[in-house]
Amino acid sequence: MAMGMAVDTVGELGFPYWNPIRRRFSPDSPFFASGNVERELLAKQVALDLTQDEINHLQKFVETESRRISCPIVGCPERLKSLDHFEDHYNARHTASCSVCSRVYPTSRLLSIHISEAHDSFFQAKVARGYDMYECLVEGCGLKFKSYKARHRHLIDKHKFPSTFEFFKKTQLSKKRREKLQRQHVSRLKHEEDKEAASSDAMEVEDKASVDGLVSALSTLTTSDTTPSNVSFGRRHGRVLTFVPRSVHKEKRTESSSAPGPTN
Amino acid sequence: MADDGSASNRRDPIKSSVGHVAGQRRRQQAVTVAKERRELLVRAKRLCRVGTNGDVEDSLVENEMMIDEEQPILEAQASKSVEELKSAVQYQGKGAMQKRVTALRELRRILSKSEFPPVEAALSAGAIPLLVQCLSFGSPDEQLLESAWCLTNIAAGKPEETKALLPALPLLIAHLGEKSSAPVAEQCAWAIGNVAGEGEDLRNVLLSQGALPSLARMIFPDKGSTVRTAAWALSNLIKGPESKAAAQLVKVDGILDAIFRHLKKTDEETATEIAWIIVYLSALSDIATSMLLKGGILQLLIERLANSNSLQLLIPVLRSVGNFVAVDPKAILTILIREQNTEESIIGVLAKCLRSEHRVLKKEAAWVLSNIAAGSIEHKRMIHSTEVMPLLLRLLSTSPFDIRKEVAYVLGNLCVESAEGDRKPGIIQEHLVSIVRGGCLPGFIELVRSPDIEAARLGLQFIELVLRGMPNGEGPKLVEGEDGIDAMERFQFHENEELRVMANSLVDKYFGEDYGIDE
Repeated sequence: MAMGMAVDTVGELGFPYWNPIRRRFSPDSPFFASGNVERELLAKQVALDLTQDEINHLQKFVETESRRISCPIVGCPERLKSLDHFEDHYNARHTASCSVCSRVYPTSRLLSIHISEAHDSFFQAKVARGYDMYECLVEGCGLKFKSYKARHRHLIDKHKFPSTFEFFKKTQLSKKRREKLQRQHVSRLKHEEDKEAASSDAMEVEDKASVDGLVSALSTLTTSDTTPSNVSFGRRHGRVLTFVPRSVHKEKRTESSSAPGPTN
Repeated sequence: MADDGSASNRRDPIKSSVGHVAGQRRRQQAVTVAKERRELLVRAKRLCRVGTNGDVEDSLVENEMMIDEEQPILEAQASKSVEELKSAVQYQGKGAMQKRVTALRELRRILSKSEFPPVEAALSAGAIPLLVQCLSFGSPDEQLLESAWCLTNIAAGKPEETKALLPALPLLIAHLGEKSSAPVAEQCAWAIGNVAGEGEDLRNVLLSQGALPSLARMIFPDKGSTVRTAAWALSNLIKGPESKAAAQLVKVDGILDAIFRHLKKTDEETATEIAWIIVYLSALSDIATSMLLKGGILQLLIERLANSNSLQLLIPVLRSVGNFVAVDPKAILTILIREQNTEESIIGVLAKCLRSEHRVLKKEAAWVLSNIAAGSIEHKRMIHSTEVMPLLLRLLSTSPFDIRKEVAYVLGNLCVESAEGDRKPGIIQEHLVSIVRGGCLPGFIELVRSPDIEAARLGLQFIELVLRGMPNGEGPKLVEGEDGIDAMERFQFHENEELRVMANSLVDKYFGEDYGIDE
């Protein structure tokens, strides 16, 4: 029985294109579970004098019981009760944001690596003096390297990061993209402008772009065949589940996420 | 149930601490009770409160209160009643039959009073062997009926309790025969239905003991409560997941005729149970499926969908249609071509389900549509030209997650031709454009953000269609405008490698270095 989409027609990118196929489910498939529950509840409704409210409540209960959502972020063991809970968890735990350039990372470790490499002149000073400053991004590896390139090579050789991956992108973000970011982060506008205009610190720009690129093939991840060349390291904006304007939402979230509390 | 004895109702300030503990215990009990009640309600078994002979239990009253205080009393009564039944059964003298019936009736009453009959107590006191004895051939109808009724309710609860009926099964099955009186046969069918509802193992036992042909014959009459009960029991018996029972049923002489007859004419309650039989036949037996289709079942199902407003009936009817469509798209082609967009067309009734307030109907109707949309270009055009389009677009933004996912399948399927060989499946630009202009992008991007792998995959695949297929290279701008890039970047840290690669390849290809450079 075909369940969902098979990885069928795959083009030059290796992308599994949308291919319409019929989906058939067996009678005990979870797909039919809520209908089955509804059947049994309705059948007993008269005999046990259930109100429609009770039925709705029971339906909801049975559904949420069985369907916990596992957080899909690498290394995160959380299982959440509902989509809303998931969104809350994601925003509280996986959106560590850099106060300097507002980039967002899924773990505090990566955030701190970013901050050191991109915003810390002390870090740059040590690099200049030949210390092994560039940490391997894969948690638990522990190795450090003298240069960005060396770490990159290590990631490819040891941790199977894609070799076609280009770190040293001179790419500026497209003007369009920058404009959009400005619109959305008026308060951080100045930082952005300064960072991107400052051409003096070529190393930093390079680092930013390279760290940007790096993250796509992250931590415990193995082979990603292609990585976006100019994608930012982590997300820049908070995401919105309900349609609240981004800046408002993000501000709310960062306030509450500074001390990540216990999740459900 | 825990004994919540003394400090229950009195509000005595001196005993307040004790009362607090009792209150806690009662709350705990309430939680346990609530949980048991939920399990009871969700089971495929049914308690019998009103006998097949019309006898109504007169103390069918205040059930919630009973649990707390009267449960121990009920249990004591059960034990006592079984004891009396034992002596009644042993007694050989004058009026023996009346004694037995009286004792049985008493036990039956005790087992019918509350939502949680004292089954365990009855079993411990040794009810089953006695009840089996009372089922012996040649016993008067009343005795058979009361005994079967007791067994029905014993089997309506927990798995161990249902399994306790094993010794009684051969006799229960035997009394399904045509020589039995209708109420007796029906009550036995009810008990068997509960046993079948327990699980696959018990179903196999029933099947090997020959329950299926006898039950099947009971649905041949045109009407009566017996038909309904037997149909329900049959649906429990064939639900599988193995297909052998379904395959066996379809070979019973006259069964298909009975099914067609009932689907066409009978009252909604009976039609509901018949529809569930069709659900399982269509899901489990290819032979049944083709024979039913040949006989014109689809049209009858569509008529029921068009004319009924009973959720109980609509669920299995809709699901049957879904099963047929999933298996044999050619069958629906004839229906589709015949009448489009009328209330009684397949699209019309699916639209009605999409419009309904019931979650199950919306979800499964979208599933059916997605399978129709996976068909030929004519199928796709047919759906695209109807009233369902605005419904689908609205559902994509507003409905619960499981419905949105199904709707996504429909919309995507409408935009893509079925692939031939290894080539990239072609995009139907006209459909893609109208659906995107209808405002579907936010909904798909929402799916991309979802933790559900299947949904995220769908979202990414649709975004690819938009990026590739929108005219004048509008795709990237549109996707960016809805924060699609953001959503795709989320996958950098996602544990699923396939999704990471998919998202990254899209960003690379369409939002690469050159993106926006000319502006």
